[in-house]
Amino acid sequence: MGGDKGKTQGRLSRRQFVTGALATAAAGPWVLRGGGLAHAGAEEDAIIAAAKKAKKTDLNGMIWSLYYRNMRELEKEFRSRAGYGVGKIQDISVFQIPQRALAEAVSRSNKFDFFHLDSNMIPSLASAGLLEPLDGYMKEAGFKLEMVGNFGSFMKYRGKTYGIPTDGNVHIQYIRKDMLENPDEQKAFADKHGKPLKWPETWEDHQQVLEWFHRPEKGIIGSGSLRNRANGVTWWYMYFHSAGGFPFDDDLNPTLNTPAGRYAIDTYLNLKKVSHPEAPGWGTPQMIPQIAGGKVFSCQYWDGTISQIEGPKSKTQGKFSYGLVPGSKLSGNLVHRSISSPLASIMINKHSPRKRQAAYFAMYMATLKNSTDIVSHRSFTFHDPWHPGHFEGPHSAKVKEAYTPSGVKAIKDNLLVTTPPVYLTGHREFQDVLGKHISEAYVGQIKAKDVLTKTEKAWAKLVRQIGKKKLKGELASYKAAFPKVNKPG
Amino acid sequence: MSRQTKKKLYTLFRFTALGIWFCIVAFPVYWIVATSFKPDHEWFAWPPVYWSATPTMDNYKSVWTSYTKTLATQEAESMQKPWIALQNSLIISLVATTITVFFGTLLAYGVSRYRILSEVRMFNLLMFRMIPPIVVAVPISIYYSNIGLIDTVTGLAIIYIITTLPYAVWMTKSFIDEVPIEIEQAAAILGASKWRTIGEVIFPLVRSGVVATFLFILILTWSEYLMALILTKTDVVTLPIQLAKYEGATEGRVYGRQAALAVGITIPLVVIGCLIRKHLVRGFSFGMVKKR
Amino acid sequence: MATTFEIRKKQRSGIAIFKWSLLTPFFLLLLFLLPVFLLQIYFSFHSWSVYLSTWWEADFVGFDTFAEVLSDERFHWSILRSLIFASASTAGCFVVGFGLALLMYRPFKGHGVYYVFFILPMLTVPVVIAYTFEMLLYQKGPVNGILSALLGTDINVIWLAHPTMAVITVILLEIWNWTPFTFIIMLAGLSALPEELNEAARILGASRWRIFREIHLPLLRPVIFLAVILRFLEAIGEFPKTWALLQGGPGSATETIPVYLFMTTWDYFQISKGAAMSYLVMIVMILIVLSAIRILMHEKKNLDEMYQAKETGE
Repeated sequence: MGGDKGKTQGRLSRRQFVTGALATAAAGPWVLRGGGLAHAGAEEDAIIAAAKKAKKTDLNGMIWSLYYRNMRELEKEFRSRAGYGVGKIQDISVFQIPQRALAEAVSRSNKFDFFHLDSNMIPSLASAGLLEPLDGYMKEAGFKLEMVGNFGSFMKYRGKTYGIPTDGNVHIQYIRKDMLENPDEQKAFADKHGKPLKWPETWEDHQQVLEWFHRPEKGIIGSGSLRNRANGVTWWYMYFHSAGGFPFDDDLNPTLNTPAGRYAIDTYLNLKKVSHPEAPGWGTPQMIPQIAGGKVFSCQYWDGTISQIEGPKSKTQGKFSYGLVPGSKLSGNLVHRSISSPLASIMINKHSPRKRQAAYFAMYMATLKNSTDIVSHRSFTFHDPWHPGHFEGPHSAKVKEAYTPSGVKAIKDNLLVTTPPVYLTGHREFQDVLGKHISEAYVGQIKAKDVLTKTEKAWAKLVRQIGKKKLKGELASYKAAFPKVNKPG
Repeated sequence: MSRQTKKKLYTLFRFTALGIWFCIVAFPVYWIVATSFKPDHEWFAWPPVYWSATPTMDNYKSVWTSYTKTLATQEAESMQKPWIALQNSLIISLVATTITVFFGTLLAYGVSRYRILSEVRMFNLLMFRMIPPIVVAVPISIYYSNIGLIDTVTGLAIIYIITTLPYAVWMTKSFIDEVPIEIEQAAAILGASKWRTIGEVIFPLVRSGVVATFLFILILTWSEYLMALILTKTDVVTLPIQLAKYEGATEGRVYGRQAALAVGITIPLVVIGCLIRKHLVRGFSFGMVKKR
Repeated sequence: MATTFEIRKKQRSGIAIFKWSLLTPFFLLLLFLLPVFLLQIYFSFHSWSVYLSTWWEADFVGFDTFAEVLSDERFHWSILRSLIFASASTAGCFVVGFGLALLMYRPFKGHGVYYVFFILPMLTVPVVIAYTFEMLLYQKGPVNGILSALLGTDINVIWLAHPTMAVITVILLEIWNWTPFTFIIMLAGLSALPEELNEAARILGASRWRIFREIHLPLLRPVIFLAVILRFLEAIGEFPKTWALLQGGPGSATETIPVYLFMTTWDYFQISKGAAMSYLVMIVMILIVLSAIRILMHEKKNLDEMYQAKETGE
């Protein structure tokens, strides 16, 4: 945003533009880029024109091959047009890259030109001096970062853009349609509870419906949401944020031991009744086969699993319906909050002499046309839609084919109310300490009420270590990533 | 009970006990091999698939053949093919092990014959081995980045040499101790130089110990994970690191590919292990037993 | 006289050259590593936050970081967990390894096949072991399946998701992985036992058990100590299997010293805290190793004396 000084006098600043777009989106109609679609390829041509001016040199990147394979064809295209492309990659899991990228920051190495990782690491990596702000390059190449709803602010830190998204990860609600809509179940449920069996709107409804359908003796588990130490915490944020919680007050004191915090931990632990006994040890490698294999009634899960379920080899094709994650009325209004973690995006190494070239490459992957190719691949389902044009307009047909129209709608709805996990410097430690305590409570090592007090204590210490003043300065970009709407229109 | 029945009972007990442990050891190994031939949906099936009804070579093809051929059909892939990892692993572990054993044997000889290090110092050497590698990981990675050894075969090999040298000295020393000093004196009287004595008189006598040491150190370097994880980037990748790449966030862990690679990683060690098993036992006494 | 003296002098200088030609590369290697330890000292006495400055600009804080680590509850727990893990897995490795060695040291038909299989786990890469057992240990998985079939009742052990069971599982994995090591050491010890003593004792009418207890065990003591000490020290450093399977979870059940150290330095990037912690761990390890060395030296001396007595006695 720092790049448009001078030029924006008299026009809308980009922040105003984003806020405006957000308001319109919240109001209902789906807003595409101002002026509609330019002729196909214009966006790409501008980037290539800028890229050609840079010296031809091959790039090194840290990226997981499961993500990179979707970009390979585009990389070839970029190479043939710009004269350079990606040389070597370090192929490691997206969960390992944050640590490795920080290690690069520590040694100020220029080995890598770009890193493909969770955007929630932006504050930490930018603070460690690793990241190059991209606004200048974006302006030069005429590239505008457009993401659904408030999503664009996930790429920004203290007013500058540091990430180019490739993947719109968000948790969406999965429910077994065939079971929920079964007339016998409907009747039995209504007889017992005196209310109709329907799509759960709140976490309380969700709990009740799941308890109804939890039938381990028949091989059906109520909840397929993760409860392990590394990922379980992600779910906790949804409960917490929907209950109106925010982890810090304006003076950076942790505010976990609040009604919202207690609500969140109770909701989290209540689901133990309807979860698999092995859930505390299960990550995604164990859970996805359960979901896609039809052994789970409901879960909130990453949106990419839709294309797994609807894939040609799937046993559960057509058996799920997708929608908005449940919300909470704790704050007085019904508030829905989803979560985006990890949210894979490309970041550029400030220490690299090839950062300019890497920035052009990253933008080329994120144009509407190219990103549509990336997110709608039928067998490589790692990247999920994020660009407004993925949901409406001429390019959306391809995306709908991969995710089904109802899946696409579910993704869009959840993106409009999605939140980041602790979007501050020290993200990994904040998150892991919380995750550890939640996991300890889940397996009975500590009491539920101690989770919040213990975490608050550890966080307060961490805030002191990283620096209260510094973190206060980051609070604005953290809060900016929160949606303004309670429920998508 | 007569002696005869006692003996029979003992034999029964012996083979039952050995048989049970045999199964405990063999079953997981069998499972790796079986998994490497299973198609995708059988890796984590409920109930488990003990042997696939439709065995496939896909896992091997996907892991070991060139990327572009299988790109179109495979769900989970690694861009970095294990051939490079295999090559790196072979170079690093063979070079490091050879240097360690060579140097360790010489040091052991010096200690055994000339006390160039006292016995207590020798034991102190073991301390190098006993510092958990994680303890020094950060300073090593910073130091290596500054002297340009990060992400190189040399850098990793040096670490492995240092961490395994104590074992090499200890294992070979016990063999050298057993060689009667008179043999050397005889060689010296015949006018052989020190180095020639070592090479032509001592070495042949302690060969089995050296071979056992070699294998043991090869195992340690071949399967080392943490240092390789921290000190490699794009240019170097070793097999244990490569293995962790076959992991999916939405497909689930890619057990079949991992198994196909694991079979490839393990076979070389098993073959060497079988070849030198006779020497192995003698090499593992660490000087704590006297030869009869 | 003069000539003998000169020969000796020549010999001595020859030995000196030989000695230093061996020791020089050794000391060079140590010198090469020196900066690593210096850096580590630097980090542990300075407070460095990755997010605020470069490492050479960190503030000197003296022993503050050490004090922080020493009062860190998570650190205490991780030490306790590591000690439990290492002791239990060492005991397991030793019992099974020694038992197998006793059953194996007298050759029988098919001896070789067993032998090769028994050392197999040691040849398997730890990460492979972790992933393989992940496939074997789920609740409806093969291990519970086979146990159920064998025992005739439904076995539903939750191996990886229950805090206590998870600890037991990693201990069992360590035993599976490293029993071959104690097995081979004990086999080496057993096959070196002097046969004559056996014969003599048997002629005197001693029972098998007495021979084992009063002759074999004392002679095996040094080997037993060696096996136990080496295994214990290696077990303290175990990381790949625990990390690949459980990453410290469920809860904090498997957060051992290496896991916590890895998290502190590579997840949280609290380099100074990690360095101070490393030093404390190193000091503890060195103390353990030093006392282990004393025990070993003592045992070795006893053994030598015993054999000497035997030789002079004959």
